[in-house]
Amino acid sequence: MLKDEELATHRQELRRGTVVLACLMLLEKSNYGYALLTALDSSGFAVDANTLYPLLRRLEKQGLVQSEWNTDESRPRKFYATSPEGRQLAATLRGDWDELAAAITALTEEP
Amino acid sequence: MTTASTLTDRYVAEAVRSLTRGQRRDIEAELRASIADAIEDRLGAGTDAAAAEREVLTELGPPRSLAASYSDKPTHLIGPDLFSDYVRVLAVLLSTAVPLWFVFSGVVTFVAGSSPLDSLWSALWGSLETAMSLVFAVTLVFAIIERTPALRSRRTAKWDPHSLPVVPDQRGYVSELVGGVVFLVVIASVIIVLQSVGAVDGPAGTPIGPFDASLWESGVFSVALFYSAVSISFHVFAHYTGWSVANAVATIALDVLFVVPAVWIVAGDRLLNADYFAAIGWPNGVQVVGLIALAVVVLFPLLDTVDTIARTVRTRRVRPTADVTG
Repeated sequence: MLKDEELATHRQELRRGTVVLACLMLLEKSNYGYALLTALDSSGFAVDANTLYPLLRRLEKQGLVQSEWNTDESRPRKFYATSPEGRQLAATLRGDWDELAAAITALTEEP
Repeated sequence: MTTASTLTDRYVAEAVRSLTRGQRRDIEAELRASIADAIEDRLGAGTDAAAAEREVLTELGPPRSLAASYSDKPTHLIGPDLFSDYVRVLAVLLSTAVPLWFVFSGVVTFVAGSSPLDSLWSALWGSLETAMSLVFAVTLVFAIIERTPALRSRRTAKWDPHSLPVVPDQRGYVSELVGGVVFLVVIASVIIVLQSVGAVDGPAGTPIGPFDASLWESGVFSVALFYSAVSISFHVFAHYTGWSVANAVATIALDVLFVVPAVWIVAGDRLLNADYFAAIGWPNGVQVVGLIALAVVVLFPLLDTVDTIARTVRTRRVRPTADVTG
């Protein structure tokens, strides 16, 4: 029987890349950190705030998302939106995801 | 604790402290907004203000870890890419230099007239010091390579199938390294033995060694030993970062740095004590040994320079083929 810790590590590794893809897809509509966190959570992508906020910075640095400070409301917030490069990456990752899903399904169907 | 700063203030201050000035203001503003959003969300769900703040900050985790994920700096001293090399170099150096130093310094202290127990202690201390200096120097070199991305990419670029001949070269390198360290320890020990144990009565009735007394006391030999340690460390460094032109220039500069003062000392009759050779009944010895010493201090750096150029040329010749396939 796997220890809880080991199980958690395996699941985390499997999910790791999916957070990036989910972010790029959700940020087609620009959004700010905390709202994106709750959106991810309600879509079934459990991710910690301390993972997501630095991740957004990295995506921005790589030019995959663009950011803009919105000061219209009483609380200024940094809004992120997927860039054309980010959209391209999301398309590639989705292709990979579909291939992987098909490959895993094929494994279960084999006699 | 001051009452003016809230937990959030303290958290944010701690989190952005280690960030660069360029990042700090933007990350601080965003972090504050995110924390405020999260607290507000919990207040809406009925949690009281203090508990909400505490929960949100607890979930964000230690501020230092958050800061580490913001700044892409490594949070380890030596990463997995270099770790096995680090351990290997350390093992090779420790397993050769330390036992050798133990035996030699023990024997030297004993022959110089200390009791066996004192000699043992001095050998133990000496070995401990040698081991610690080695660990420190090797760790420092590897930590620098780890933190210099330009150096690391050059090294990983070497690892494609075309660079497989590197493997025998690596093995040769380890034995070269062992050879270098053993040679250094032997030379240092022989010099110390000759000067202390090998001393004879001079014309003034005081014991004199083969090396010039003022030179001996000036600490030149310690400087030379230190220089050799630096030179060996640098060879390790250059091996792991590739024999680039910059490394080759630095190696040759180190060689020149050695040759010039060494030749000045040896050729200017500043190394040897003529009285010593007269006292042992070999007055010509001062010329003969002086010539040998001169040959050594000129030839060794010269060979090293030639070797360095050869390595650099070889590396430059290998790299384009790797690029074609990569």
